[in-house]
Amino acid sequence: MAAVSAELRFGQVSFSYGTVPALRDVSFALAPGERAALLGRNGAGKSTLLRLVTGLLHPAAGKVSVGDWDTRGRAPESLARRVGSVFQHADQQLFARSLRDDVAFGPRALGLAAAEVARRVDGALAALELSAHAAEHPYDLPPAFRKLAALAGAFALEPAVLVLDEPTAGLDRPLRARVARALSERAAAGVVVLVATHDLAFAAEVLERGLVLDRGRLAWDAPLAALLTSSERLTPLGLAPPVGAALSAALDLPGRPVRERDVAHTLARVAAARGRV
Amino acid sequence: MSRRHPFTLLALVAALTALAWILPAPAGGLGTAAAALALAAAAGPRRVLVPALVTAAPFWLFLLLLHDVPSTIAIGLRLTTMIASVVWVGALLPPGRLVEAMVAAGWGVTAAYLFAAALSAVPLLKARAQRIVDAQRCRGLSPRGGLGRRLRALRALALPLVLSVLHEVDERALALETRGFVPGARRTPLAPPRDGTGERAARWLLLVACGAALAWRIAWRG
Repeated sequence: MAAVSAELRFGQVSFSYGTVPALRDVSFALAPGERAALLGRNGAGKSTLLRLVTGLLHPAAGKVSVGDWDTRGRAPESLARRVGSVFQHADQQLFARSLRDDVAFGPRALGLAAAEVARRVDGALAALELSAHAAEHPYDLPPAFRKLAALAGAFALEPAVLVLDEPTAGLDRPLRARVARALSERAAAGVVVLVATHDLAFAAEVLERGLVLDRGRLAWDAPLAALLTSSERLTPLGLAPPVGAALSAALDLPGRPVRERDVAHTLARVAAARGRV
Repeated sequence: MSRRHPFTLLALVAALTALAWILPAPAGGLGTAAAALALAAAAGPRRVLVPALVTAAPFWLFLLLLHDVPSTIAIGLRLTTMIASVVWVGALLPPGRLVEAMVAAGWGVTAAYLFAAALSAVPLLKARAQRIVDAQRCRGLSPRGGLGRRLRALRALALPLVLSVLHEVDERALALETRGFVPGARRTPLAPPRDGTGERAARWLLLVACGAALAWRIAWRG
């Protein structure tokens, strides 16, 4: 999996909070356009890993690279040119008088020209279908939309790497689908997408590779579908398969699909082949 | 000390502060400041003593700019007593324990909550401020540089903090109401701190000491 042209690379990274180890000897690489789920129990080290990517933390040992940049010695505001991030409680960062102004905050902080800022903001708002709310005050929007607003702010940086911490928490099904579409579009444009989540149904729909942390160690790094259809592998890691993947595994569907739509199509095909439809 | 009744801790802070201003300077202030700093050091040199000294330092600087040296020492020692003892009690007394003590003593739950909320707000605001700083830096905001740049950065850091806190006040008020938190309601203290006879006597003793010091000071002046 270690692509030569990796956009994001962890090389034997370890990190501790004081004497408490949070990450131990973690290595992986994500190529441009790859979509990875970062999974694991609470306290497994997911948020720490994301903070290492953004430069808010620096590894005690090993190396984190974003493209040809070593994050060590780079401040988060410098890495923002390549890394877009949305953390939990992201709605607390909003402050401008309109959604448009808030989304423009990042590109303006990077010193981009006004026309370029406007282009990026329009693109980010459109990607998340927020253009109709552009003139509204962020705090007049429902909490779920404020979360999307924070995500639009990260999109507007047009980063090479997007790291998101629980981006679907509190979102209903249509909004989750909106986020899924937007992330897929970004990945298709070559952006690395790394999502820490407990929402395995969302992960199954959008993400293709699974990185599972267990007590700070990388316990799994392989295609997500293979993980989601294997209860024997999921259970020891404190994870449960989403409904579609569980059904796919229980019925031993050909190709073991995990996306709901793929499971439904496969079921229909199998049923049709047996002459029941 | 942390196992002492909350009222005893507060009484000690109040007595130290009162004595710092009642007793003649600089000896009185020196004694109370030494006592307050000793309490802070015993509670944790890095966790309590250093923050107390760091908080007091700017006051000494401003006093030195405004007054002569004897006045600076006199007022500075008194302020140091206040600051060190307040930092000490803030570090030692969990707000929840104070609320339990106040409710057990018959205080209205609203007053107890307001008191405790003010005490517990500081660490919560600090954590939230740090989250906002992190998020804005990840959006490209540099908190370093010249004065103008820092002021512009301050807006992006302070505004979200204020806005999100105001927003949360609404939500918290609703959550409290839905859980039966109304003025005048009686709350059952589940784990009221033990208030022994010795501690009650100690609080009276502190009160008497302050009264005696005040009387002595008036008489001595006369």
